[in-house]
Amino acid sequence: MSISRLLIANRGEIAVRIARTAHRLGISTVGVYSEPDANALHVDSVDVAIALGGATPAESYLRGDAIIEAALATGADAIHPGYGFLAENAAFAQAVIDAGLVWVGPTPEQVTLLGDKVAAKRAALDAGVPTTSMIEVVDGRVAEGETVDYPALVKAAAGGGGRGMRVVRNADELDDAVAAASREALAAFGDGSVFIEPFLERGRHVEVQVFGDHHGNVVHLGERECSIQRRNQKVVEESPSAGITREVRSALCDGAVALARHVGYEGAGTVEFMVGADQTITFLEVNTRLQVEHPVTEAVTGLDLVELQLRVAAGEVLPITQADVTITGHAIEVRVVAEDPAAGWMPSTGRIDRFQVGGDEPDGVRVDTGVRDGAEISSDYDSLVAKVIAHAPTRVEAARQLARALRGSQITGIRTNVDTLVAILGETDYLAADTPTAYLDEHPDVLSPIGPAGDDRVALLLGAVFALEAERRSADRATPFAPSGWRNLRTQGQRQIWLELTGEHLHVEYTMRPVRLADGSTQWTASAWLGPWPDPDDEGVLAADDRTERRVRLLDRRVNGVAIEIDGRRCAVSTEIVHHTLGLDDDGVGAVTVHTRSAAGAVTLTRAPRFVLHDAQAEGGGPICPLPGTVIAVHVGAGDAVTDGQVLMVVEAMKMEHKILAAGDATVSEVRFAVGDRVDQGDLLVALDHGDEA
Amino acid sequence: MTLVTIGTVIRSRLDTRSVEYQENLAAMQELWDGVAAELASVPTIGGQRYVDRHRKRGKMLVRERIEALIDPDTPFLELSPLAGWGTQDPVGVGSCTGIGIVEGVECAISGSDMTYRGGSGNPTSWKKGSRFHEIARENRLPVIVLNESAGADLPRQADLFIQGGGSFKDLTQLSKLGIPSITMAFGPNTAGGAYTPGMSDYTVFVKERGTAYLGGPPLVKMAIDEIVDEETLGGAEMHSRTSGLSDYLAVDELDAIRITRGIVRHLRWTKLGPGATEPDDPPLYDPAELLGCASADVRIPFDIRDVLARLLDGSRFEEFKPLYGDKLVCGWGSIHGFPVGILGNNGILFSEEASKGAQFIQLCNKRDIPLAFLHNITGFMVGSKAEQGGIIRNGAKLINAVSNSTVPHFNLMVGASYGAGNYGMAGKAYNPRFIFSWPNHRVAVMGPKQLAGVMEIVARNAAAGRGMEVDEEALAAQTADLEAQIEHESTALYSTGRLWDDGIIHPADSRTVMGMALSAVHSNVVQGATEYGVWRH
Repeated sequence: MSISRLLIANRGEIAVRIARTAHRLGISTVGVYSEPDANALHVDSVDVAIALGGATPAESYLRGDAIIEAALATGADAIHPGYGFLAENAAFAQAVIDAGLVWVGPTPEQVTLLGDKVAAKRAALDAGVPTTSMIEVVDGRVAEGETVDYPALVKAAAGGGGRGMRVVRNADELDDAVAAASREALAAFGDGSVFIEPFLERGRHVEVQVFGDHHGNVVHLGERECSIQRRNQKVVEESPSAGITREVRSALCDGAVALARHVGYEGAGTVEFMVGADQTITFLEVNTRLQVEHPVTEAVTGLDLVELQLRVAAGEVLPITQADVTITGHAIEVRVVAEDPAAGWMPSTGRIDRFQVGGDEPDGVRVDTGVRDGAEISSDYDSLVAKVIAHAPTRVEAARQLARALRGSQITGIRTNVDTLVAILGETDYLAADTPTAYLDEHPDVLSPIGPAGDDRVALLLGAVFALEAERRSADRATPFAPSGWRNLRTQGQRQIWLELTGEHLHVEYTMRPVRLADGSTQWTASAWLGPWPDPDDEGVLAADDRTERRVRLLDRRVNGVAIEIDGRRCAVSTEIVHHTLGLDDDGVGAVTVHTRSAAGAVTLTRAPRFVLHDAQAEGGGPICPLPGTVIAVHVGAGDAVTDGQVLMVVEAMKMEHKILAAGDATVSEVRFAVGDRVDQGDLLVALDHGDEA
Repeated sequence: MTLVTIGTVIRSRLDTRSVEYQENLAAMQELWDGVAAELASVPTIGGQRYVDRHRKRGKMLVRERIEALIDPDTPFLELSPLAGWGTQDPVGVGSCTGIGIVEGVECAISGSDMTYRGGSGNPTSWKKGSRFHEIARENRLPVIVLNESAGADLPRQADLFIQGGGSFKDLTQLSKLGIPSITMAFGPNTAGGAYTPGMSDYTVFVKERGTAYLGGPPLVKMAIDEIVDEETLGGAEMHSRTSGLSDYLAVDELDAIRITRGIVRHLRWTKLGPGATEPDDPPLYDPAELLGCASADVRIPFDIRDVLARLLDGSRFEEFKPLYGDKLVCGWGSIHGFPVGILGNNGILFSEEASKGAQFIQLCNKRDIPLAFLHNITGFMVGSKAEQGGIIRNGAKLINAVSNSTVPHFNLMVGASYGAGNYGMAGKAYNPRFIFSWPNHRVAVMGPKQLAGVMEIVARNAAAGRGMEVDEEALAAQTADLEAQIEHESTALYSTGRLWDDGIIHPADSRTVMGMALSAVHSNVVQGATEYGVWRH
C-alpha cells in the first residue's frame, strides 16, 4: 500500500522536516495546528492544514480522534506522528490502523512491549543484548535472593526524563530511595513500579539507530552519543561516539539488531545504552519513534530516515542491507532551546523578534527549525527552537564548524542557550571527547560564557553605537544633511553610555567626519574613545584623559548592520535596534536596546538613559532603570553598606536580566521598588548615599 | 523617478594641483588656524581657576549644558562665537548662543558662562544677545535660555545699562509673536536679570541652585535693613511654591534640561516655510577645496563660479543673464535641497551689474526664493564714464531692491566687501538673516591702501591750498600708520568681534552652515516682496 497523502500529527521543526522528505517523494502533506500555531512555520510547510483548536497539547496535538478525523476528511492515507505527543501511544497507533490508515511507526504491540522498561529489559536479556543485570522490586522490596551492588540506580519502569530515578551509594539508602522513586513515578506516570540496576560512574549515553521492515529485515545505522544532557534532556548529540571502543561499538550495534529481530521490529527505533568509563554496558530502553537527534545519523550515513520510515510503513522492503551502511566522517547536533542555562535552564517564552542561524552565508550546517522571525515560544510546547547539525571529516572540525555557525547566529526576543553551546564546542574536555553524562555538572563555566572579548567586543559595541547614530541622523527632519554631531566650536564629542546585561557601563565618546571618496560619495570616519571621560575631582579639576583614540571607518552602512573598520581591522556587525517606548530615542528618554552580532558572537546592549525621571522630591544619587521592565530580585535593603560594582537589584526586560550595580561605595538610603514591581526607564531604582567624600 | 533639477553643472577650471592654488591654500589655512586658536580659547576664557571652581560646585559648563540639551548626534551652530574680539570685552563675551535641535525643533539657544565674571553682562554680550533675539524673531525660532548671571558687569554699566533693558522687551515681544521662550535658572538671576525668567513663557528653576531677586541679600540689608537668606528671598523652592515665578522645579541641572525638552515637545512646533524641495546631492567638486578657492589676499581676483561649483547641490547652477553685467554673477541653484538665488561678485559693480542685480532680486521675490549674496566686491565703479552712465541711478535700483526685498537674505563673505558694494550686496545694515565670513574676509569703506592713498591726496591738496610744503617723511609715516590701522580694522576677526557678522566659518563648512541657516529661515514664512520704493529709471 503506497502513501500518497501523509498527515503529520505534530508541530515545530519535526513537522517541517517530515514534510520536506514527503514532498521530495511526491507525497502531499496534511498538517494540523493548535490555535496559537495558526501561522506557524510548520503550517506553511504543508499542503493542507487542519485546525485542531485549543492551545495546550491536550486540547490540540494530543487529540487522537480529531487527528484521525482530519486525516480521513482530507483524504490522507497515512499518519506520521513525529516525536513526542502521540508518537509512542499504542492506543493511538491502533486507532490509526483501525481507521484504515497507515501508521508510520512500529506496531502497537511493539510500542506497548518496549514502552515498559522492565518488559523491554527482559526482552533485551532474552535476545542476548549486552547489559548489566536488572533487579526487580516487588512491593517496595528487592526480590528474594538478589544482591544489590553499589552504587546502584533505582529507576521507574514507566516514563523517563530522569523522573523516578535515584542513585544509591550504599545499602542504608536503598529503602528510602526505592520509596522516593516509586512515589515520584506514581505521581508522574501513574505507575509506581521501579527496578534497580548498577550505577555506572562517569557513564556515557550511547544509542543505536535500528530499522526493521515488515519482511523481517533489520539493519542498524550506527550509534549516536548523547551524553551531554541537562536534567536528562539531551543538548549535544553526535555520531559516531568518540568514547567507546570498537568492541563495544560492535556489541551495542549487534545487540540492538538482535533485540529488534527478537521482537520483529518494524520501522525506526533507537536502542539506548549507558556505557561506563570501564566500557561496562547497561541497556536502558528502546524508543519506538524517530529521535530528535536523527539528523546526525542521516549526516554520517547519507540516508534520509524519514524516507526509510515511509517506505517501511508502506510495506516496502528496506532498500538497504547492513553492507550498504557506511559511516562517513563525524556529525554533531546541538539543540538550541529557549532556556537560560545561567538561570538553571529557566524556560524563556515570548516572541522571537529575529531568528537567524548560520550567519548570512551558508556555513555548511543543517538547521532544522519550526520557527522564524515573529514566532511565539509558549510554555505549552517544548522549548526546542532549532537543531543545528554540522558534518565534517573529523569530530574537531565538525565542532569548529558548528561553533562558528552558532557564533554568527542571532535569536532575539527570547533567551537561548546558544552561548553555552558555543562554549561547550570549544571546551577542552569536550574536544578531547571526555564527555560523561555529568559533563555539564562538571563544567559549570560553560553555563555562563562571557561571549566575544577584546577587539571583537569593541566592534560589537561600536556597531551598536553607529547603528543608533545612523538611525538618529536619518530621523533628523530639520538638518539631516549636517555631519553627525557637527560643531563650529567643539568642546566634547558625542557621548553615550551603554549597559551590558551584567550591569557593566560602557562609555563611548566619538566625533565623526565625512571623507569624500573619489567617486564623490561620502564615507564616514570617526574617532572613538572608550572608557569613562574625565570627571571633575573634588576640586573641580578634570582628571587626565587616559583613553586612546580608536580610528574608525564605516565602510558599509545598512539598515541592519555596519561594516566597521577599527584601527585597520574590519568587522561586519549586524544590528537590530529595539525601541522600548513610543517615539524615537532622540526624545532623550526613550530606552533602546541593540542586539549586535558578528562572526565572533552576539552581544545585547542597552543605551543608558540620558535623563532620570525622578520627581522633584527624589533625593540622592543611585542607579536608574535602563529600560521598562519588572524587578525580579532585590539584593539590598535600606541602611546596607554596598561596595562598588555590587549587584543591588535585577530587572527583567525583554526576556533578559539586567543587573543593576552600585557605582562606587555607598549606603543604601532607600530601595524604591520591590520584587514584582513594574519599573520604567529612567526611574531611580535604589537611592544611594555616597557620603561626603570631601 | 526622474528628478527635474535646477540648472546645469558648472565646469570649474580651478587647477587644485597648481602651485598658485597650493600656495593660496596654505595662506588660507594659516588664516583659519588663527581663527581656530581664538575659538579654542573661548570655553575657558574666564580662566581655568573659575572653570574648576564651577565644576567643583557640581555644575556643568554652559556648552556642556547645551550638549545635554540638544538631540544626540544633531549639529549645533554657535553664533558669534568670537564676539568681543579686539574689544574691551573677552573673546566670546561670556555667553554662548546658537541654533540647535531640541526634540526635532530648531531652537535658538542661549546660555551664560558663569565662569567669566559670574556670567555678568557686558556691552558686547548685550549686542550678542540682541542679535540672538533678532535671529529668533526674524526666523521664528523658539528660544531656550540657560541662565546663570550675576546681572550687569557693574564697572561697565555706563555702556550697558540703558540699552540692556531692551532684552526684556525682546522676550515679551517674541511671546506676543507666538514665539515661545523657555528659561532655565541654573544659578542666580539677579536684578534686571530676574526679568529674563520674568519675561519668559516658561521657567524652570533648579532646586537649591536657581535664584531670582531684584536685590540680593546685601542690597536688601542696605535698602530696607532686612536680614534674609537667599533661599527665602528668591530660591527655586520659594519661586515654585510661593511667588509663582518658577513654573517647574527641577531636581538638578539635567532634570531642568529634561523638563525643558518636555516643554518643547508640547509646543508641537511646525515650520511655516516650504523647506527643502530640491535633491541634496553633493557637489561634483569637493567642498573641502573651498578653503583654497577664494584668494587669501583679497586683491587677487578669483572666479566666484569656482566657489559655486563647490557650494551648490550637484554643482548645478542656472545662470541668469550670463552675457550681461558679467561682474555680478546671478542665478539659481540649491544648497542641501533649499532653493536659493545667488548673487556673487566677479569684480566691481557697473551700471549693468547693478540693474541686473535689481532685476534678479525682484524675480526671486516673485518666486519666494531666498537670496545668498557672496561678497567679493571692492565697490561700485567710479569715474566720469560711470557717473555719466548713471551708476548712482542704477546703484539706487540695487539698493532699493535689497532694502525692500522680503525673502530671507544671506551674506557669505568669501572675499572683500568694500564701500557701497557692501550696501548693494545687502550688507549688515540691510538686515540679512545671517552673515557668515571666511577667514580671508575684509570689510571697510574701501581698501586700506586706497583709503590711505585718498587721505594722502586730501592732505596734499590741503597743504597746497594753504600753500604749505608737504613734510614727505611725516606724510609717509602718517599714510603708513593709517593703512595699518585700516588693515587691522578690516579683518574678519575685527568684524566678527563687533558683531558685523554671525561668525567666521571654515570655508569647507559653508554648505553645512548655509544649510542650517536656510533651514532655520524656513521656520518662518518665506515670502517675497510686492512693493518697493520708487524706481529711478
